Amino acid sequence: MNLCQDRLPVPATRRAMLQQAGAGFGALALNAMLTGNGAAASKPGPTTARAKRVIFVFMHGGPSSVDLFDPKPLLKRDSGKPLPFKEPRIVSHKTGNLLPSPWKFAQHGESGAQVSELLPNIASIADDLCFIRSMHCSNSRHGGALLELHTGSDTFTRPAMGAWINYGLGSENDNLPGFITINPSGSHGGAGAWSPAFLPAKYGGTRISGSGANMKIPFIDSPITKREKQLQEIDLIKAFNRDHLATHGTDPELESRIASYELAFRMQMEVPGIQDISNEPAHIMKMYGADQAPTKSFAEQCLMARRFSEAGVRFVQITHRYWDSHSNLRKEHKKLSAEMDQPVAALITDLKQRGLLEDTIVLWGSEFGRTPTAQGNDGRDHNPHGFTMFMAGGGTKPGIQYGSTDDYGYYAQDKPVHFHDLHATILHLLGIDHEQLTYRYAGRDFRLTDVHGRVVNDIIS
Amino acid sequence: MLTLQPGPLPAENTGGDSGGGDRFWSFIRPSEPPQPGVKDGKWPREPLDYFILEEIEKAGLLPTRHADRRSLVRRAYLDLHGLPPTTPQLQSFLEDQRPDAWQRLIDELLASPRYGERWGRHWLDVARYADSNGMDEDIVHPVAYRYRDYVIASFNDDKPFNRFIIEQLAGDLLPADNLEQKRTQTLGVGFLSVGPKMLACDDPDKMRRDIVDEQIDTTGRAFLGMTFGCARCHDHKFDPVSIEDYYGLAGIFLSTKTLTKYSVVAQFHQHDLSEEKHTQRRSKIADLEKHKADKATPGEEKKRIGEEIDRLRKDLPPAFEVMGVTEYPTKDAKVHLRGDYQTLGVLIPRRMPVAIAGKAQPKIPGDQSGRLQLANWIASPEHPLTARVIANRIWHWHFGRGIVTTPDNFGHLGQQPSHPSLLDHLARRLIASGWSIKHLHRAIMNSATYRQSLLADPVLKETDPENRLFARWKARRIESEVLRDSILFKSNRLDLTMGSSMLTEQSHKYVDRKKQAEYIKSMRRTIYLPVLRSSGYDGQKAFDFPDPAVITGRRNVSSVTPQALYLMNSELVHKSSRALAEILLGDTREAGNKDRASWLILHLLGREATTAERERGEIFAGAYGKDENSAAWAAFTRALFATNEFLYIQ
Repeated sequence: MNLCQDRLPVPATRRAMLQQAGAGFGALALNAMLTGNGAAASKPGPTTARAKRVIFVFMHGGPSSVDLFDPKPLLKRDSGKPLPFKEPRIVSHKTGNLLPSPWKFAQHGESGAQVSELLPNIASIADDLCFIRSMHCSNSRHGGALLELHTGSDTFTRPAMGAWINYGLGSENDNLPGFITINPSGSHGGAGAWSPAFLPAKYGGTRISGSGANMKIPFIDSPITKREKQLQEIDLIKAFNRDHLATHGTDPELESRIASYELAFRMQMEVPGIQDISNEPAHIMKMYGADQAPTKSFAEQCLMARRFSEAGVRFVQITHRYWDSHSNLRKEHKKLSAEMDQPVAALITDLKQRGLLEDTIVLWGSEFGRTPTAQGNDGRDHNPHGFTMFMAGGGTKPGIQYGSTDDYGYYAQDKPVHFHDLHATILHLLGIDHEQLTYRYAGRDFRLTDVHGRVVNDIIS
Repeated sequence: MLTLQPGPLPAENTGGDSGGGDRFWSFIRPSEPPQPGVKDGKWPREPLDYFILEEIEKAGLLPTRHADRRSLVRRAYLDLHGLPPTTPQLQSFLEDQRPDAWQRLIDELLASPRYGERWGRHWLDVARYADSNGMDEDIVHPVAYRYRDYVIASFNDDKPFNRFIIEQLAGDLLPADNLEQKRTQTLGVGFLSVGPKMLACDDPDKMRRDIVDEQIDTTGRAFLGMTFGCARCHDHKFDPVSIEDYYGLAGIFLSTKTLTKYSVVAQFHQHDLSEEKHTQRRSKIADLEKHKADKATPGEEKKRIGEEIDRLRKDLPPAFEVMGVTEYPTKDAKVHLRGDYQTLGVLIPRRMPVAIAGKAQPKIPGDQSGRLQLANWIASPEHPLTARVIANRIWHWHFGRGIVTTPDNFGHLGQQPSHPSLLDHLARRLIASGWSIKHLHRAIMNSATYRQSLLADPVLKETDPENRLFARWKARRIESEVLRDSILFKSNRLDLTMGSSMLTEQSHKYVDRKKQAEYIKSMRRTIYLPVLRSSGYDGQKAFDFPDPAVITGRRNVSSVTPQALYLMNSELVHKSSRALAEILLGDTREAGNKDRASWLILHLLGREATTAERERGEIFAGAYGKDENSAAWAAFTRALFATNEFLYIQ
């Protein structure tokens, strides 16, 4: 639906009506209303949706911000000296003295964003990006921080952000799952990062794993090669179910099941087409780097993310790993950057060229960053206290660098943004008031942001 | 569709007034309610029916007539065993003309080990059972399966439910006459240990308190329907549970050891309950190995020691380990202001929540955690919540709807009971029977309420679409395990071996997720497949298998596209349909396609085919080529697996 239409057509169905309302008010718990699920004790928020969907480009392991986006000249000056202030009370490992970045930084675009030489392609689109250089979270370990980023909690099992968003907004395309995660990490949270937890199962993420043509939605391939044979089978199911309804009377649940086989059949027809990136033109394959190593693998994920997003999947996540450079930082970060840089820049550029970036939030980031202090002489420890993430599109302000860390890049200092704030802001961009999107479970109304979260208005255009 | 339906908030918080007469309903001890008078005195078959009929009549409605015997026998098998009946089982019931045939059938089903596998699984949902930790570090629970098997056995043995409670909270502390008993009792406390934990946390204090919190929350909700967890940071906003009550319980669990190692990656405690002689042998081997490794030991002696070790190792069974908590040096907890353990308030002695227990507190000796006292207090017949909560769970699992529709929450934010007197009656009846769950099954299944037909008056269905009055049988979808087991069973592929574990990983090792593809290929009942928290089975998840990290007294029942994809395309369905087609064709060599359709419909749906269905079979099979008979009947089988009649208990 076009948000900018002056006149909306008369809604044909209750669903259409709610979707229209949703465009204006944030379709709060649209699905809940549609399914008669009164659990969302919430009223439409006053915000206007800027975005309809999210692509989360997740960097598993913790890329080092002081080596990628947050240059610290003092690290060079004080190289080898101890950190001149206190380390946090809780750290995952003991670190030594200050370690300057081995890479050069330069300013890029009109915005003058600082980007390291490791990421020339991302640097070239700096004016499209909204950097948040003051991210922080509460947990110093991968699992805890990863779950905190994905679910808002490093303590208990909670629904993933993508599940909340689907619960809140419903599907743009009923033939597809609303939340797809491609090649997620099985460790450090595993299914917890795409779990519906206590939300109804349908809001949970659908995992697609494998590589290239083998990345599949579960059970999407039919062993039956002849389509008409499978249609006959579906007709047979329908015949039995119709007889059954005729003798046993109506029941909404039983009726919806009848429709589900046809839906599944359509999904079966539609999904392979979306997943089949081989029909992308050569210049697109080249732009993403899908035509050669070392970018091929992540380029395929990025392409698939765009295609799913284009087809109406509300929340698509792709994962690149494994940035956990406790040692071999020079080699590992260089290699990982080279795998990720071109595909990510191409994804954003491609979305922009297609007019999709306008209402698609692209989020790039990790569970934490890395310390400015050294582990050994070529490694850095986890740092949840200050790191950089960036966003693009979906109503975020392009070409800005928001917030900052201290002079050495350890702590978020100016305008810190916690994961809770990030969640609140993303929901806000989607037209959802994070305090209103609730689900009642175990005696209370739960939120993605729990009792926290503050919309970062300054990064919204 | 079953969904959470929170009730309106009470106008004012009337709970917590422990002295007054206006206490919240669930905090008042149930008394035996008088049997209501009803107009249709012939309808009730069990005392519980009077309570149901009273409400139906009040609404100006009538209950639904009895279901036919075919539907009933299928309903009973699916409900108690999670497997449909075989055709001979069906026939034998249909032919049994004795007046007590139905009671006999229920007794027979309750005596089968299939019963514990079905109803044990219900309890495992509540116990958030899993074979791996999930959360941040997906470490295997290599012997958690013993707790699972213990749960199955407890249901099969009809272990008194109060005993079952005590064992799950404090089984390690109960006196035992012999090792066997010691093991069985200790297995219960797996309940407290199998919860999800953050195992890689650089702050061991936080880790410990989070584990305690999970245990308090699970214990409260599983047995009492109370959300104590809400009081971690402040007094409960809706229920009369104070922050002091929370830390009174926290002291009990802080005096309980769950982990043996708190540094990253943390490890959980396991009891070694090996036979004494085996333990001695193991310690002797350890001594000998030490001696052998000693440089001073001469070569010849080393050889001799090596032989001795080999001899001792021969036939030495692995240590009998049991996952579960144990006692710790005792410690009362201080209130954590706003839940922050670094901002401490007043010290609270270990105790039961005052809001429920009042001043009559069991005495907790200084050198005991208080777990045993907590267990006894919860399992007491005097407790206002315990018997109601489990009676309601049993009712819910039979009907797909509880008398209280929020089975894990009997507080202010839970639903009020639709039939408060019925709930009290069932709770009292349970206690009077010696806490026999099987007794409750018999009472429920023998009732006229349970035996009503699906074929209800349209007016009734319209008036009461959710079946709040229980004035009819409402079809309910079979659970993910029942679906998988039934398909395997009906295609003669189900392996009914009980117990043991498929995991091969050693203690404290990470789960090998690649093996999941192997596990799901197993033909064992689904309850025996390892439950891995970081990664479920796609087919199981599609059919609402709950997240094993959270307690689930009521599963979601969705009807989503991935279910259709599973039924259309999964390997399980295709292999099974081919296997069943072969059996069919072997059995009906001389028969025509109409008779084959009849055979399959009887086999899978437990009823005779209609003329139209026989013709449908003929036309459908006829559309396939002469040499495609197997493919045709496999396809027909798949279609039947996907029908509502196969997928719903009706």
